[in-house]
Amino acid sequence: MEEWLYIQNEVYPALTKGFWVSLQLILPSSIFGLVIGTMVGVLRIYGSRPVMAAADLYVTLFRGIPLVVQLFIWYFGLPYFSIYLSPFVAAVLGFSLCSGAYHSEYVRGALLSIKRGQMLAAQSLGFSKVQMIFSIILPQAVRRALPGCGNEVIYLIKYSSLAYMITCIELTGQGKILASNSFKYTEIFLIIGACYLLMTSVASIVLSRVENRLRLPGFEHHRI
Amino acid sequence: MSTPILKIENVSKRYGKKDVLQEVSLTVNKGDLKILIGPSGAGKSTLLQCINFLVKPDEGRIWLDGQEVHYAHKHDLYAYRQKVGMIFQDFNLFDHLNALENVRIGMVKVRGMGKKEADKRAVMELERVGLKEHMQKYPAQLSGGQKQRVSIARALAMDPRVMLLDEPTSALDPELIGEVHSVIRDLGQSGMTMIMATHQIGFASSLASEIIFMESGRILEKGTPEKIFCHAENARTREFCSKITELYGETR
Repeated sequence: MEEWLYIQNEVYPALTKGFWVSLQLILPSSIFGLVIGTMVGVLRIYGSRPVMAAADLYVTLFRGIPLVVQLFIWYFGLPYFSIYLSPFVAAVLGFSLCSGAYHSEYVRGALLSIKRGQMLAAQSLGFSKVQMIFSIILPQAVRRALPGCGNEVIYLIKYSSLAYMITCIELTGQGKILASNSFKYTEIFLIIGACYLLMTSVASIVLSRVENRLRLPGFEHHRI
Repeated sequence: MSTPILKIENVSKRYGKKDVLQEVSLTVNKGDLKILIGPSGAGKSTLLQCINFLVKPDEGRIWLDGQEVHYAHKHDLYAYRQKVGMIFQDFNLFDHLNALENVRIGMVKVRGMGKKEADKRAVMELERVGLKEHMQKYPAQLSGGQKQRVSIARALAMDPRVMLLDEPTSALDPELIGEVHSVIRDLGQSGMTMIMATHQIGFASSLASEIIFMESGRILEKGTPEKIFCHAENARTREFCSKITELYGETR
């Protein structure tokens, strides 16, 4: 009975609150990440030399430095330059930039898979480079990049748990507070694990729906 | 004499130390069908790609309808390319668009036509190449011959002044070649100006206004089909023609 009251009065409200914070972190971060990733992926292939180099540098930094360190820099480092971000904004910024770096690699791979002949055909019809990228290459590349990008979104859902390190108390943060008060680490983190599993499962269902919606003859997968 | 539709003067292209094209000149008048023949590596494809600047020539000048093309100006280049249709050996249809959309996209994106108008025109062009009932199919669902006909319709929809055809039937199996040839023949009869690289000399000689024999990046000889296939002056031309006749059948 005591256990039940503890769950009802403390665990449930705290975790629900944390769950919403997590969602608020994940949704914008995954969208910004995808947008940044697509843009950077395009620039890394079709940009001018300096732009390409800058985009490569971005990926090297944001893929190479541990995410926690990046979050610390945004939250604890920027104040040295008199820029003060709230924990939430710092977390979304950190996740979006890190996620974008990974997405750009999937997008880049997909862009490289589009055959040169189609680009020649577009050019021979009088397409400008930008028109060609947006109406011929990207619509195909997006379809090919989707499985990889989906992977990154799922991963983002889990690494959003790092936000509590910069005092943005989301699901994991709430769990940590509860657990250190009650010392019921196993129970509480099992519940938290289930919550993340729920989010990633929903995300993978949504992603596979999107993949199905975009499927075209020639882009389907074949059972062998 | 009227101005030629297309004039090419001293076009050269080098890849490293290799001369792929050496001072090639060509004058094309309205309604001409020029056929480029020659062994692989002769520069036929490079010449066609230089004509619409998919490959930038190192030297040389090109005029369309008496106006020199300044390809360094992007605007001029895009406008010029609209007027020069290109057909590729491996079709190069846009894989994510169905036949109708493949034909329509150039009109909508490049010429800025409304969707409805472009749709009507696209249907008309697909009808012209005999593919009206396949217009909802994607490239992956079409045969090689059908794909090539879609690509011809796509080029025609831009109202080109000249068409460049780079071995349009080389990737097709023998049974499908005929359907593409008949479309090209109809085009020729309707007065379309064309430059075509091909090994199908039977077809070529029945249609061509001039045959151009190329080797090692140069034009070695040109003349009427009769002259090139029966009374060629150059020994290399004769040798090539006899070999290719053996392979691809009679010239008539």
